[in-house]
Amino acid sequence: MLTGCASESTDLSDAGGDYITGTGTITEIPRTERGARISFSGELDTGGTADSDDWLGSVVVVNFWYAACPPCRAEAPDLESLYQQFLPDGVVFIGVDVRDEAATALAFAETFGITYPSILDTRGGEVQLAFAGEIAPNAVPTTIVLDRDGRVASRIIGQIPDRSVLETLIEDVIGEEG
Amino acid sequence: MTRTDDARASGIVRQDRPVDHVDQFEEAIRTPRLGPSGWARWAWRQLTSMRTALLLLLLLALAAVPGSLVPQRSADPNGVVQYFARDRATAEVLDWFQLFDVYSSVWFSAIYLLLFLSLIGCLVPRIRHHLTAIRSAPPLTPKNLGRLPAHRVDVVDDATVARAIEEAERELRSSRYRVVRVDEGQGRLSLAAERGYLRETGNLVFHLALMGMLVTVAIGGGFKYIGQRVLVEGQTFVNSRLAFDSFDAGRFVSDDSLAPFSLTLDRFTVSYVTDNVNALGLASSFIADVTIDGQGSDSRKSATIEVNSPLSVAGSEVYLLGNGYAPLITVRDPSGTVVFSDTVPFLPQDSNLTSLGVVKVPDGLTRQVGMIGFFYPTRATTSSGASYSSYPDLVFPVLTLNVYVGDLGLDAGNPKSVYQLDTSAMTEVAGGESGVSALELTPGSRADLPGGLGTVELEEIPRFASFDIAHDPTQIPALATSIAALVGLGLSLFVSRRRIWIRATQLRGDIHLEYGGLARGDDPRLLPAVESLARRVSDRLTPTTPKEPA
Repeated sequence: MLTGCASESTDLSDAGGDYITGTGTITEIPRTERGARISFSGELDTGGTADSDDWLGSVVVVNFWYAACPPCRAEAPDLESLYQQFLPDGVVFIGVDVRDEAATALAFAETFGITYPSILDTRGGEVQLAFAGEIAPNAVPTTIVLDRDGRVASRIIGQIPDRSVLETLIEDVIGEEG
Repeated sequence: MTRTDDARASGIVRQDRPVDHVDQFEEAIRTPRLGPSGWARWAWRQLTSMRTALLLLLLLALAAVPGSLVPQRSADPNGVVQYFARDRATAEVLDWFQLFDVYSSVWFSAIYLLLFLSLIGCLVPRIRHHLTAIRSAPPLTPKNLGRLPAHRVDVVDDATVARAIEEAERELRSSRYRVVRVDEGQGRLSLAAERGYLRETGNLVFHLALMGMLVTVAIGGGFKYIGQRVLVEGQTFVNSRLAFDSFDAGRFVSDDSLAPFSLTLDRFTVSYVTDNVNALGLASSFIADVTIDGQGSDSRKSATIEVNSPLSVAGSEVYLLGNGYAPLITVRDPSGTVVFSDTVPFLPQDSNLTSLGVVKVPDGLTRQVGMIGFFYPTRATTSSGASYSSYPDLVFPVLTLNVYVGDLGLDAGNPKSVYQLDTSAMTEVAGGESGVSALELTPGSRADLPGGLGTVELEEIPRFASFDIAHDPTQIPALATSIAALVGLGLSLFVSRRRIWIRATQLRGDIHLEYGGLARGDDPRLLPAVESLARRVSDRLTPTTPKEPA
């Protein structure tokens, strides 16, 4: 029972298409080919709740993670620094913790100085279900950029290969006319 | 099977020709010149011959051998990596020949595709031939029945030719023969009969079913997936790859093929035998109460999953595999702030659920802390002082923890199993060789971590269950084809195909009934069958009266 964040995808790999070996596989979806709006909500590790409908009109970066996942830990500082960088542009960063309870998630945030909140999705799994029909995240970590209409614009499966990669993806979506 | 007609190739009856005859072709044997279509036909004949089919089958078996000698990427990816690390040059040569992917290699595929083609090319003409045979009448009565492998003549008095043939026909029909009456002239009548068409039908069904089975496995296998997930009571699983602990899928499975549903483990109940001293403590039932939620809003429903009684959800089967305890462990820093609070699945090590688990606290304390824990649902102590569990239910639950501090190895970005603690960069500070006794916790109790790092608390002890989520669209076709193959094989083995002819001739005052039997293939029961038929026909014609009706 090997558990957890696959940095290398398993046997699914050679099916072609979007399928993915190794870390940091990037998919960008042209504006015209994007699917339906994805709505999700849930309890935050910092208390209170979050609802994606409140962020319509903003670019949203969703990061699926959990504390004991090594690639998640490795990419955490990059995510926080990008969050700070795009704060003036109104880009929303939201984590989705798929395995931990609040205390564990908060301790992680403390370690890496993460200042954006995370939805706790361990018990309900609603956020994962919301993303399951569209482009399903297939490994932890997965990072998804939603456009201003709440549609999936790009995703990175596995650890972010480089800070600049996600930076470019976010800038591309910000650059789209609103 | 198809056979080429070689008559044209034989150089016969030369000596009958005049001496001055000028042979146009001096060579003894001359094959006709083949055009492209001729060659194609020749190749097709070769391919679809039985000999080639058997050769290909043998070749397929041989070609599968390297798959068991060389590690395969599909079954043993680590073995392949190790091979490359050990001997890169050889590995590259092997890789060029696709020996690490034998079963999907070009040459292996070529063999089985040819075999398929050969089978199809052989079966199609056979089916066509059989259909004609089924529709056509049995062949007319041969002149000399005495030459047939089974032969017999009965002499009957007190009957006519017409009546004898009529009774014989009735008898044949009741034995399910197909019968044709032949008027041979000169007062002679005969019957031509045949049975056992099902033998060839069964044989064809068997071959077709085998092909169907191979196709099912080859194509259907690509749509299969199977994944495992451990759920603690209250937790939810979502059917996406992200949520599986381990996942194995066929090549045509994409993320979209995973039907979106979620499964929440509400409660896991285990009943134990308590009224039988000999089986005391054995589990009598495991019941997982779950809630299923599709993507729609009104699709929530409750269900139970038991061992050997899986739940069908959206085309997938959810099986209950294992279970155990997942203690809720909370770690606080010296100021009392919670830095870790999680249910940690402990893997059972024996039938009384002595369980082993790993707790990793990567954040919030001054150093990273890892703990290896033993959980005893009902703790007992041997005379030597070692702890063990004496009963699988929670009667006297105790958790002991060996504590390590240092680097958990999580921050380098390399994946780690959550069930293993890499202690290579850590120091043991409680339990084991550390000189400090292991932490011991009962529900609700709290213990101090060594070195003033903080405290650990055991809060409650929910159960966890592990599930297998499998999607296998090949199950029903595989069952259907294997049943068809067995039925076909049975028919082709146990049905015997026989032809029987009966000729009735008037000779002086007697009727001569002549029987001839011919079997298609090997049939040791042919002679007895003919004899018993003759006996029954005679009985019909001359009803002996052993007993007067009362």
